Amino acid sequence: MSDVSNVSNAGKAWQYGIAIFILGLGIVYGIGAAAFPSEGGYAGIGPNFVPILIAVALGVTGAILLWQVATGGLRNFTDELAGVTANYRGGLWLTTGVLLHALLITHIGFVLASTLLFVCVARGFGSKRWWLDAIYGTALVLPVFWLFTMVLDVSLPQLFNDWI
Amino acid sequence: MMDTLGFLLHGFEVALQPVNLMWAFIGCLLGTAIGVLPGIGPALTVAMLLPVTAKVEPTSALIMFCGVYYGAMFGGSTTSILMNTPGESASMMTTLEGNRMAKNGRAGPALATAAIGSFVAGTIATVLLTLFAPLVADFGLKFGPAEFFSLMVLAFVTVSAVLGASMLRGMTSLAVGLAIGLVGMDNISGVARYTLGVPEFVDGIEFVLVAVGLFAVSESLYTVLYQSGEGDSSVNRMGSTWMSAEDWKRSWPAWLRGTAIGFPFGSVPAGGAEIPTFLSYTTERKLTRHPKDFSTEGGPGAIEGVAGPEAANNATATGAMVPLLTLGIPTSATAAILIAAFQNYNLQPGPMLFLDNAPLVWGLIASLYIGNVMLLILNLPLVGVWARLLSVPKPQLYAGILVFATIGVFSMRQSWFDLLLMYVIGVAGVIMRRFDFPVAPVIIGMILGPMSEKQLRNALAIAQGDWLVFFKQPIAATIMGLTFLVLFVPIFLRRRGVRLSEDD
Repeated sequence: MSDVSNVSNAGKAWQYGIAIFILGLGIVYGIGAAAFPSEGGYAGIGPNFVPILIAVALGVTGAILLWQVATGGLRNFTDELAGVTANYRGGLWLTTGVLLHALLITHIGFVLASTLLFVCVARGFGSKRWWLDAIYGTALVLPVFWLFTMVLDVSLPQLFNDWI
Repeated sequence: MMDTLGFLLHGFEVALQPVNLMWAFIGCLLGTAIGVLPGIGPALTVAMLLPVTAKVEPTSALIMFCGVYYGAMFGGSTTSILMNTPGESASMMTTLEGNRMAKNGRAGPALATAAIGSFVAGTIATVLLTLFAPLVADFGLKFGPAEFFSLMVLAFVTVSAVLGASMLRGMTSLAVGLAIGLVGMDNISGVARYTLGVPEFVDGIEFVLVAVGLFAVSESLYTVLYQSGEGDSSVNRMGSTWMSAEDWKRSWPAWLRGTAIGFPFGSVPAGGAEIPTFLSYTTERKLTRHPKDFSTEGGPGAIEGVAGPEAANNATATGAMVPLLTLGIPTSATAAILIAAFQNYNLQPGPMLFLDNAPLVWGLIASLYIGNVMLLILNLPLVGVWARLLSVPKPQLYAGILVFATIGVFSMRQSWFDLLLMYVIGVAGVIMRRFDFPVAPVIIGMILGPMSEKQLRNALAIAQGDWLVFFKQPIAATIMGLTFLVLFVPIFLRRRGVRLSEDD
């Protein structure tokens, strides 16, 4: 347990966040487990036993993580991204694509929603020509749609009919 | 012995049916493609393909999934050798010598020794699987809940403690996976746990959703956030794949040693192909008569340093089929997802599978022989075609990955809620990767958690609540003892200066 990690302040805040989240999850799971029945018949343990065990595991790992972060940071961890500026704009495009796809798929059908997703993600990764991506996207999505709905019998939302 | 041969011949009858040959070929083709493409691995691909289980017959689908798993192991070497990025983590060691050889104009022989080595190792390992699987399955019939529970504890400890840089972070990931696995109806008492009143949660959190979120979404998001600008995209020239007599002479002992190291590591729950490929590489470096050729000595790249690890990673993948088929224990994330595929058909891998579904099991094993031949043909003469895949630009590559990912998730329940949850899990995956929390324990915890709880409660019910049952029965006690020893492996490895990252 020697090499204490070198992280930026932002990285440190995230580490605290993770440790507190795990600890909190343990507490929430513990509270949940208290409400489950303990009656277990011959086994002697009921549906609450394993949840209690896992709540304890989460609580203990969370607490140790918190202790590590408070005393210098996660151990055996080198922050390879310490000086890297994240491309949040790209991340935002990707997020927009996934969320729009989730919200629109039942309204505008699989083909249009997925093409939209394709264009947004490609945009996030720096593609400049959205119309070309729309063509690539459609060229990928249409055959996939037919393959899944007609050959594999997986039902996907349509816009008009079986073909789109 | 004769029985085994008879079963295997029946297996070939199943595997050689045109429809199964077609699925094996599709699997090998897809597997090679995703092995070549950096960023996506076999675990993700099988997870995304799980919806086909709705229509395709179980034997065919499982043959295809195994083709994907194997194909990725074959294809991974292409990327490692031609670019300086491993296509998947099991090819990390190949990159060291393979890329150096390619830089010195010997990409062809490096690719050839990788492909032929993968074929040799895959085939020998499949023979071993054929011989050992029935024996292990027979032995497995003696297992009761106590033994199975002990085995699962061993699997938990190995995947979370041995893998990764930190045992604490591995254990944390495992606890999170187990916690996710608890959501839903308890399969013994019927009590609903941690459903927060959300009806979608009563059936539990869909495994595909977590796998796709953690692999596809988080990989894309991580890449766009932190790696979208960079990337050494220079691809080495290929040249002829002809191996000289000297290349053969140096390769074949390395293939055999790689197989001997890889197979046993695959067949015990030791988590992934990282350790065996590393061991094979160090063994070759120690035994070589040409130490000056190794890249670590500034040499032009040593062919045995490619041959050994490539053979080892294929043998590991085949070895992993032993505990998966005979005991229902997954030793890697991909194997865990294969269990989910079985479960989609209401099949439970384990000793009973060999009795109840012999045609399926043996068809699958026979298809591994066929798949190896297909992969050799796909990879050796056609390697130039695959290399062209490396020129797919990142924006369209990741856009395509996400389109496929959403099909896998959405088609399960037609629910947009699942798509949102997939995104949230993807974000969590980015944070985990950013701070070096391994992902495989989450997947394995989620799949094995509910199974192990059932075995624990059954074992205790049989023993009338006596906890010592896990230490009184010889098999269970031995496994528990092993589990305890495994906890010291990371300390031992760290002392020797080995740092591991996980297998995807």
